[in-house]
Amino acid sequence: MKKQILYILFGFTALTFFSCNKHLDTKPTSSIDVNDAFKTSGDVTGALVGAYADLGDDDLYGGQIFIGADLLGDSDQLNWSGTYEQFTQAHNKALTVSNSFVAGTWLQAYKTINDVNNVLAHLDIVVDADKDRVEGEAKFIRGSIYFDLVRMYAKAWNDGDPANNPGVPLVLTPTTLISDSSKVSRNTVAEVYAQVISDLKTAASKCYMATYDEHYIFATSMAAYAMLARVYLQQQDYANALQAENSAIKLAEENGYHLMATYTAAFPSADPPAAIPNTPEDIFDIEVTATSGLNAFNEYYSENQRGDIQITDAGLALYEPGDDRGSFFGDGEYTLKFENYYGNVRIIRLAELYLTRAECNFRLGSAVGAKPVDDINMIRERVNLSDYNSDDLTLDDILRERGLELDYEGFTLHDEKRLELNVGILPWNSPKLIYPIPQREIYANPNLTQNEGY
Amino acid sequence: MRKTLLQFFALLITMQSFAQNTITGKITDEQTGAPIAGATVIVKGEKTGVFSQTDGSFSIKTNASSNTLLVTSIGYADKEVPINGSVINITLTQASKSLSDVVVVGYGTSIRKDITGSVSQVNAKNITNTPATSFETAIQGRAAGVFVEQQNGKLGQAINVTIRGGSSVTAGNQPLYVVDGIPVTAGDLSSNGSSTNSLSDINMNDIASIEILKDASSAAIYGSRASNGVVLITTKKGKAGTSKIEFNYFTGVQNPTGRREFLDSKEYVDYFTQAALGAATQDVIYGYEPNINSAKRDELDYVHSRFTRYSAGTEDWKTGKINTNWQDQAFQTAPISQYDLNVSGGTDKTKIFVSGQYLDQDGIIIANKFKRYSARLNIEQQIRSWLSLGANMNFARSKNYRLSDDDQFSSPLQIVALSPITPLIDPRTGLISGALDPSTGAPNTNYPLYFNPLLAYGNNAYYNTLVNRTFGDVYLNATILPELTFRSEFGMDQLNQTEDSYFGKLTARDVGVPDGDGSYATTQALHYTTNNYFNYKKTFANVHDIDAVLGMSYEQENFDFSEADAQEFPSDAFKKLNAGAVKTGATSSSTGDVLLSYFARVNYKYDEKYILALSDRIDGSSRFGVNNRYGSFPAVSAGWVLSEEKFLQNNRFLSFLKLKASFGETGNNEISDFAARGLNTSAAYGGHAGQIPSQLPNPNLKWETTLGSDFGIEGSILNNRIDFDIDYYTRKTKDLLLNVQVPGTSGFESQLQNIGNLNNKGFEIEINSTNISTKDVRWTSSFNFSRNKNKVTNLGGQVLGSDVNKAIEGQPLGVFYAREFAGADPANGDALYYKNTVKSDGTLDRTTTNDYNQANDIVIGDPNPDFIYGLGNTLTYKDFDIDILLQGVYGNQIYNGGGEFMSASGSNGFDNQTIDQLAAWKKPGDITMVPEARLFYPNGTDPSSRYISNGSYMRVKSVTLGYNLPKEVVSRLKIDHLRVYVKAENLLTITNYKGWDPEVTADFYNDNINKGYDFYSAPQFQTITIGASIGL
Repeated sequence: MKKQILYILFGFTALTFFSCNKHLDTKPTSSIDVNDAFKTSGDVTGALVGAYADLGDDDLYGGQIFIGADLLGDSDQLNWSGTYEQFTQAHNKALTVSNSFVAGTWLQAYKTINDVNNVLAHLDIVVDADKDRVEGEAKFIRGSIYFDLVRMYAKAWNDGDPANNPGVPLVLTPTTLISDSSKVSRNTVAEVYAQVISDLKTAASKCYMATYDEHYIFATSMAAYAMLARVYLQQQDYANALQAENSAIKLAEENGYHLMATYTAAFPSADPPAAIPNTPEDIFDIEVTATSGLNAFNEYYSENQRGDIQITDAGLALYEPGDDRGSFFGDGEYTLKFENYYGNVRIIRLAELYLTRAECNFRLGSAVGAKPVDDINMIRERVNLSDYNSDDLTLDDILRERGLELDYEGFTLHDEKRLELNVGILPWNSPKLIYPIPQREIYANPNLTQNEGY
Repeated sequence: MRKTLLQFFALLITMQSFAQNTITGKITDEQTGAPIAGATVIVKGEKTGVFSQTDGSFSIKTNASSNTLLVTSIGYADKEVPINGSVINITLTQASKSLSDVVVVGYGTSIRKDITGSVSQVNAKNITNTPATSFETAIQGRAAGVFVEQQNGKLGQAINVTIRGGSSVTAGNQPLYVVDGIPVTAGDLSSNGSSTNSLSDINMNDIASIEILKDASSAAIYGSRASNGVVLITTKKGKAGTSKIEFNYFTGVQNPTGRREFLDSKEYVDYFTQAALGAATQDVIYGYEPNINSAKRDELDYVHSRFTRYSAGTEDWKTGKINTNWQDQAFQTAPISQYDLNVSGGTDKTKIFVSGQYLDQDGIIIANKFKRYSARLNIEQQIRSWLSLGANMNFARSKNYRLSDDDQFSSPLQIVALSPITPLIDPRTGLISGALDPSTGAPNTNYPLYFNPLLAYGNNAYYNTLVNRTFGDVYLNATILPELTFRSEFGMDQLNQTEDSYFGKLTARDVGVPDGDGSYATTQALHYTTNNYFNYKKTFANVHDIDAVLGMSYEQENFDFSEADAQEFPSDAFKKLNAGAVKTGATSSSTGDVLLSYFARVNYKYDEKYILALSDRIDGSSRFGVNNRYGSFPAVSAGWVLSEEKFLQNNRFLSFLKLKASFGETGNNEISDFAARGLNTSAAYGGHAGQIPSQLPNPNLKWETTLGSDFGIEGSILNNRIDFDIDYYTRKTKDLLLNVQVPGTSGFESQLQNIGNLNNKGFEIEINSTNISTKDVRWTSSFNFSRNKNKVTNLGGQVLGSDVNKAIEGQPLGVFYAREFAGADPANGDALYYKNTVKSDGTLDRTTTNDYNQANDIVIGDPNPDFIYGLGNTLTYKDFDIDILLQGVYGNQIYNGGGEFMSASGSNGFDNQTIDQLAAWKKPGDITMVPEARLFYPNGTDPSSRYISNGSYMRVKSVTLGYNLPKEVVSRLKIDHLRVYVKAENLLTITNYKGWDPEVTADFYNDNINKGYDFYSAPQFQTITIGASIGL
């Protein structure tokens, strides 16, 4: 009896000894092994969706990169009363190298670029029907991010020699391992712009062009042209900006996009908050739903959220009497542009396209697509303002209209730089108006040089 | 014919069936006169022995040549008695820590005098009836080298236990917890940022002893999880003899140990008026205002309008009529009660211990509660002469009414940010301030200053965590040969947790959702283990003792998590997700790991003098890449019992002296389950599914290894009156599992790599003494002191850490690294920093600057203490006893992370400020460490030594005053014993720290690097209870 039980015991023990080894190869379930990640065309299009999700992170196109630019570029139109020191520093033009929003935007930008580089590296397995679209959209994302990186973290195009000024590092292939070659150096401003233009040109030619009725939520060639126009405008290359913007407008008008009837209608909200589809005025939005995405504009501007940013009396005084936009405020100090908690983040609105086209046409003395005065009056009529006469219209009028139409949407700093306008007491090219390279990045990569003044 | 008896775990006694003389007698406690049952009586020089009976009586047969009896009993000093008659009554003296105490070690037991490693032991009497949620609190200050730190004063909150210094930067730094031989789920299973402690499911009255394996040689038998030490918990078992019933009850009140002082309403108004004027100066400097007069006017207008807003629209701020101490609203005097019943007993064949407990504890912070029900059954049955089997089973159900983490506006202590000029009740509505904006009918969005945390509790919101847990093991012991036994055990720890939360309409300003936000999350943790091992124990030729273990173990852990969320509830009467109109989230995930191990150990002892122990464990873990899946963790240790040598024998002064040395390798595998793999994770965008890279592969990932050495001297002097144990150790960790920060341009922030080294070295002293021992008076002391020096020696040139705590080469882990603050510029009130840039001659530039970016970071403090200590004294006089434990931590610093808001020169707005801000710079020439107050202009609020404080403290940790009903009364009442007592925990804390409590690490922030960081963290409990224990 004793022996039999002992045999059973030993048998059981031996069994456990030999049957366990294979269990050591436990596979992940909540995430998947990277070796299983790119097997089919659907995997690659899924990775492109993932890149949009990263692009829409609140550090990036979720809004903070634009809000940071507006606070940094603000002279006296905004009041910042938030508790986030990171933006307090931006508004005071006193950024520190340890500012975690500055680091967050940088990290999220390059994370998204790596997402895109993975997509581009696996284009060969994408089915033909999707191949152009996937490449185009991937390059739209990459080009747009590099554009925003170079204008936030480096000297402006018109500040000295872009061929010599350090821009940001260009990383164009996916990271599969970390080695010394991961310690990249900064490319020049000119090199970054060249890459941006190349990516956006490819995007413009290869992206899908959807009609508004299709409710296509991804980047279209129209969006790529519009982004390309932004880039040229930043370079003060009005001829190319005009050409690109006119292409964007043509695509928009042919495909059912148009300005909304009222300014308010361009910024719809819902009570209770709910996801609302893009309006026909939206050229490119970041999608926010109840389950994914976050609208940082809503978080910081909405009175119903943090309400950290108020519009000062000086800011309100810029509007002419009767301007609908001048009354689009809650409590007399909170903009109502971002009231929807689940609202999409508007990256490009059609109004911008008309304003840019008007400015370029005006500067070049041309009337490509439309006369400047017609584009401007279209914007004005919608907000119940009187028309300009063609003869009276000045560049200042166009720029003022642009400022009022696009206020709080991330244009202030970049327009000030290209127009070479002072920001408070700082000159447009002050190093204080440029984000520092994040401290953590300098620690991790000694090949990076810090920006002047930090 | 020989018969083997296995009793008291390992004490092997053989009885011979032939004899010439019979000696009888009775063994009693020298002090109390109580009979001592279960004492071992052996004829010296022979191996014959018997146990004393319940009444203390014994009967032993001896040879005619025998002349001495050796009497040993747990808890008493050994005694040798000359044989001078056939009836010998023997009295034993209680020893504070007997050399013959059984010490539980990995996969077996040993006795204290044979231990060659370093093992601290905490016994039941120090743990039982401690009024705290989890047992770690009870070992604080009681074991050398064990640094116990509760993160904050929320119930069921994680407790950091660091044994001989942190050994890892990125992998786990907490010890392995083993209950009755089975590793259990420990650590944080919270999904809301405020960490929880799975060990709080253990009823500490069930604990018989806690052994802490500190050095590499004792811990190495646990291989890849032993680098941070191993805590072995042994639960109470039944003993043969009369069945005993014991009932314990205590009840009491708890209060916060400390408060932080904030401005009252007059001071607040003065301060922010000053801040407005300070801001006006800046308005002009920055060009926002044309001149100082208009700037002052505008700023004052603004500030006054805000004062009125925060005074509920009244002008009461001008008179100081409203003066709300918000801090008082967050705290409460909290009751605690515990009911505990246990029964133990048994026969020769069956031994049983059954217990049940109910703990009902309220927190010192509003709405925080913890209730635990637990039941235990430990049973062992001798089914054949050579085979026994048993089970240790525990069921626990704990419900924790939790709070948001320290970083949330809804965390009650964040209430201190509210203005004292704000009334508790808004006179416009008659409701709590912030509850209702009469103009909108919704909660206020800009009054009071922030979301009022008082709106997040009671009926408005809750966050309840319910844990149902069953853990335990079944085992069998087979005696194959008299000297060879086999033990097989199967343990299971099944933890089911639900987290149910609802934040109602009144919390809209905090959660950002107008009509209720509900969430329900489940966590299932299943951890099962089987250990199978042989034990060979034999003495050859009377002098060669061999004790060997050989075995294997297999463990598997699985975690399954799910969560669902909903919003838009019809009213706050509906709180469950079925009522939420919008389902905002649903997720599930799982993870798991497998550990396969083989282990062996041989202990050899020659003639009670020389001891040698060798062990090895081979661990295979699913967490590592195929190439480095297995690791081997060998250890060797040796001891020399000098007092057994001729030249020291019969030394009256020295009762025992042992030198010991040990070396061993231990590992650390506490990393995420799939850390070696490249991973892609899911990402959704606009209703489309996608994927993104989330982790870079590291096929070379391997074990983090610690090479430990320990040199110790252990002894006992003055007839065992004073025991001491002194150890010096070094612990060198290599191949650190490091989350190495990689260039962000790669698309990743960090990667787990084996880079770097860190060292711990230190020494520990434990002294236990019996100062007085007479019939009526007994006074014992225990003292422990430990000093650990931690140094990170190699991180591949990196500086790690996301905030002010950093891991830096050449510095202790987690040092505070920031600018050095130099006070206010006497000329203009600007915050100044020492530049601390390196000059061309290599020295530091000690000039100051008002430009933060021009100054360099330096080490401004260290959260690791220089030393920790504990001093316990127990004095018994007749039926009274008093026990006092002092516990202290010395030489560490605390960083007040909340300083940038609460001591911030008004730069982030209208947060109420700490009282020290009244010393702010006001006019040129002022010499002060507090910069000028400037509303919304940061003035010295970036991380700097401005927010560093000394964190040393000494606590009267525990005081117990007890009274035992005299024997004669007790026996008249026909009960076994009755004890009543008063107990105080954290009665007094002596510290210079100006915050709430110096024992602090903000819950949302805590990790290996981030320590000693205060962020609106709740203070510890000061608890006073009265209790009674009655035994039948």
